[in-house]
Amino acid sequence: MNSVILVTVSRLLTGLLLVFSVFLLLRGHNLPGGGFAGGLVAASAFVLHALANGFPSARRLLGVPPRLLIGFGLAVAILGGVAGMLAGRPFLTGLWDKTPLPVIGKLGTPLLFDAGVYFTVFGVVCLIVFSLGEEGEED
Amino acid sequence: MGTLLVIILGAVFVAAALAPWLHRLCGDRTGLVLSAVPLAATGCFAAMIPRVMAGNAVVFHHAWVPSLGINLDFCVDGLSLLFLLLISAIGTFVTWYAAGYLAGKADLGKFYLYLFGFMGSMMGVVSADHLVLLFVFWELTSLTSYLLIGYYHNEPRSRAAALQALLVTGAGGLAMLAGIILLGRMAGTFEISALLRLDPATLVSQPGFPAILILILLGAFTKSAQFPFHFWLPNAMEAPAPVSAYLHSATMVKAGVFLLARLHPLLSASPLWLPIVAPVGAITMLVGALLALGQSDLKKILAYTTVGVLGTLTMLLGLGTELAVKAAMAYLLAHALYKAALFMTSGSIDHETGTRDPEALGGLRRAMPFTAAAALVAALSMAGLPFLLGFVSKEYFYKALLEAEGPGMLWEMLGLAASVVMVALAATAGFKPFWGALKPTPKPAHEAPWLMWLGPLLLGAASLKTGLFPGMVGDCLVGPATSAVLGGAGESVGLKLWHGWTAALALSVVTLLLGAALYGLLPRIRAARGICRVLGRFGPERGFELLLHGLLSFARWQTHLLQNGHLRNYVLTTVLFTVLLVGWMLPGIVSVPAWDTMVAPHVLTVIVCLLIMAGSVFACVSQSRFNAILAMGVVGLGVAMIFFMFSAPDLAMTQVLVETLALVLFVLAFYRLPSFGQYSGRAVRWRDAALAVVFGAVMATVVLVVQSSHAPDNAVSRFMGEHSLESANGRNVVNVILVDFRALDTLGEISVLAIAALGVFAMLRLRPRGARKETKP
Repeated sequence: MNSVILVTVSRLLTGLLLVFSVFLLLRGHNLPGGGFAGGLVAASAFVLHALANGFPSARRLLGVPPRLLIGFGLAVAILGGVAGMLAGRPFLTGLWDKTPLPVIGKLGTPLLFDAGVYFTVFGVVCLIVFSLGEEGEED
Repeated sequence: MGTLLVIILGAVFVAAALAPWLHRLCGDRTGLVLSAVPLAATGCFAAMIPRVMAGNAVVFHHAWVPSLGINLDFCVDGLSLLFLLLISAIGTFVTWYAAGYLAGKADLGKFYLYLFGFMGSMMGVVSADHLVLLFVFWELTSLTSYLLIGYYHNEPRSRAAALQALLVTGAGGLAMLAGIILLGRMAGTFEISALLRLDPATLVSQPGFPAILILILLGAFTKSAQFPFHFWLPNAMEAPAPVSAYLHSATMVKAGVFLLARLHPLLSASPLWLPIVAPVGAITMLVGALLALGQSDLKKILAYTTVGVLGTLTMLLGLGTELAVKAAMAYLLAHALYKAALFMTSGSIDHETGTRDPEALGGLRRAMPFTAAAALVAALSMAGLPFLLGFVSKEYFYKALLEAEGPGMLWEMLGLAASVVMVALAATAGFKPFWGALKPTPKPAHEAPWLMWLGPLLLGAASLKTGLFPGMVGDCLVGPATSAVLGGAGESVGLKLWHGWTAALALSVVTLLLGAALYGLLPRIRAARGICRVLGRFGPERGFELLLHGLLSFARWQTHLLQNGHLRNYVLTTVLFTVLLVGWMLPGIVSVPAWDTMVAPHVLTVIVCLLIMAGSVFACVSQSRFNAILAMGVVGLGVAMIFFMFSAPDLAMTQVLVETLALVLFVLAFYRLPSFGQYSGRAVRWRDAALAVVFGAVMATVVLVVQSSHAPDNAVSRFMGEHSLESANGRNVVNVILVDFRALDTLGEISVLAIAALGVFAMLRLRPRGARKETKP
């Protein structure tokens, strides 16, 4: 797929989509969004890039193997759960900093957990799409 | 001090996680570095002795899942402390030993990962004060021991032995889980110390108790290799020597004995305890001893004698008198000390000479002086010679048997027979390879590196010291352990070396004399070991193999039936069963709301619904796959619009994203799919259409019923809506549910996602190159 339009658009959109995905993740606690949707958007950014510029280019852009993203995501999610334990509360209990920050709102361990979901979903979709796509390219 | 215990546990697991990385950094010195952890742990546990001696248990409590009553409770009393010290001290020696024995192996880092994982799990088993926690660590020991036994994973025999051990102990573990749950529900608590404080008589008299007892005993018996589950232990000798020394002396196989001891105050109140546990132990003791006689491999000899000793311990706990329990604890300590040393020295012999056949070995004392000294002390303790701990424990063993009630002299005779065999085999394992004339071996014999004899020598020194001054170890370890097993009853009187001219002493002397005689007869007995092999064909191991074979055939049959790889069949099965189940339940609860109560839909909704319907019909009848895919996309986006109209923006957004990505996936896989032909005949298509219509009708009815009824679910959603902002600081209820209220579910879901992705990755990428080329369309 060597479409000039797609290549040009993807160059603009990939970054935009990534920013949007982080935006979705951060606002998710109060407004539509969240780690799952954010992760899907982040993955679509790279899928778009892959469709326009090929999978090797997308892999280079991503920089890390997608399966590391999955492990990282799970680890972050568990960390978000363990944080509650360190404060002497049960696993996965949310801890909150009560002073709201601009844009993001209040910070708490559920956001960390949601970030874990984000990275897991991101990695899962990238792993599947890249694997399938590269399989096709060998033919 | 409770916090210290948890820090030690954590440190062991952290050490396990760091081991592969450390190995890359330090190479063969990894073992020495890592051994600092169990060494420090030994020191910390030793520091707990005075407190535990005074009768104060070290406790730690942390709420884990308080809503289910599951907590991270730890409690170290005399029994736990005895085990903890053995696990950490022998763990230190084994780590050193492995550093020498496995030096130069490329995956040594992985080995330490498994070893320390196992060590931590074992410490967890013996210090857990909560049945569920104990079970978690128990299963972890099964899992890590599987990896350890199968360390030589290129050897099919090694893999088979590891799998066998996992299956046998895992099956027992499941039985134990059932027992634990039943026990916890019956008693109203899972906390072990609370359970043991309850009045055992009232619990035992409940009708379900025999089932609980048998289920828990199954767990203990499989783990501790009791007859008829004993066969996995000798097979596990495929593991490298340090693993055998660790798993089969002080830890893994003693976990079952530990469980029996831990729950002794409660379970022994049952009238079934004595008639089940004592005979099973006695049979195991005899079977282990007799089978050991026929072996011609040092490691196998040690393995079968271990089975015998585990039987002895079980028998003593089964008898359950104060003297028997004390004998069991002393015997357990003595066995751990000498058996770990013997496993290590026999491993050294194998490592430095290339053979483990006692007939082919002799006169190694000049070549391997330190190993010989360590083996000799350990063997003397195993034989039960005076001034070693083995002697003291055997005295108490005989005293307990003399005191036990039983038909005639049955217990005494059984104990005598097993002990005589132990004497003969102790000489075979610790004496024969080193004394007499030097025999030629496959490798020219030389002393092992110091890492490999220091541990056994220290263990020998411990046997000697505790044997010479049994009073001290009696006060510090055996006494508190005994009193813990007896539920606080029983005074913690120390051990004595000299009891006067008693019947037990006479039995000890007779044992030594008969043992020496049996040692002389051993070569002739081994010559006749063919009989053992013939009998083995009808033994419990054969039964296990048949069972496994049958299970695999059944699995293959049902997989072929249900999982034939055709997606359309899966969908058909799922839909059919949903229709049957829901359709069967519906007539009872259906109250479709009256027509006039319904609100006319918005015109936009109607348009979107018509679009969805058109899309699905088109997807069914289309002759081109690409068109069908696009039509499915229309359906998906239509559904997203419906979500949006009914104010579920989160769902709508996710649906759109999933649709987009699904379309991409379809396109990527497009060229790899077989040609889009007619897969099914006319009759099949009509069947599918009919089923689809019925399914649609059932689901529509369900939606109507849900709309009209006020199911209790409403209370749940109202609760979530009300508490979302105040207790979870979020206005988006959907997300709050995902990351806070039901975060555990989400954690499970993303784990499943990750595993599914890895599955796809493995199927697509990790195939051999040749196979990948073959599947080209």
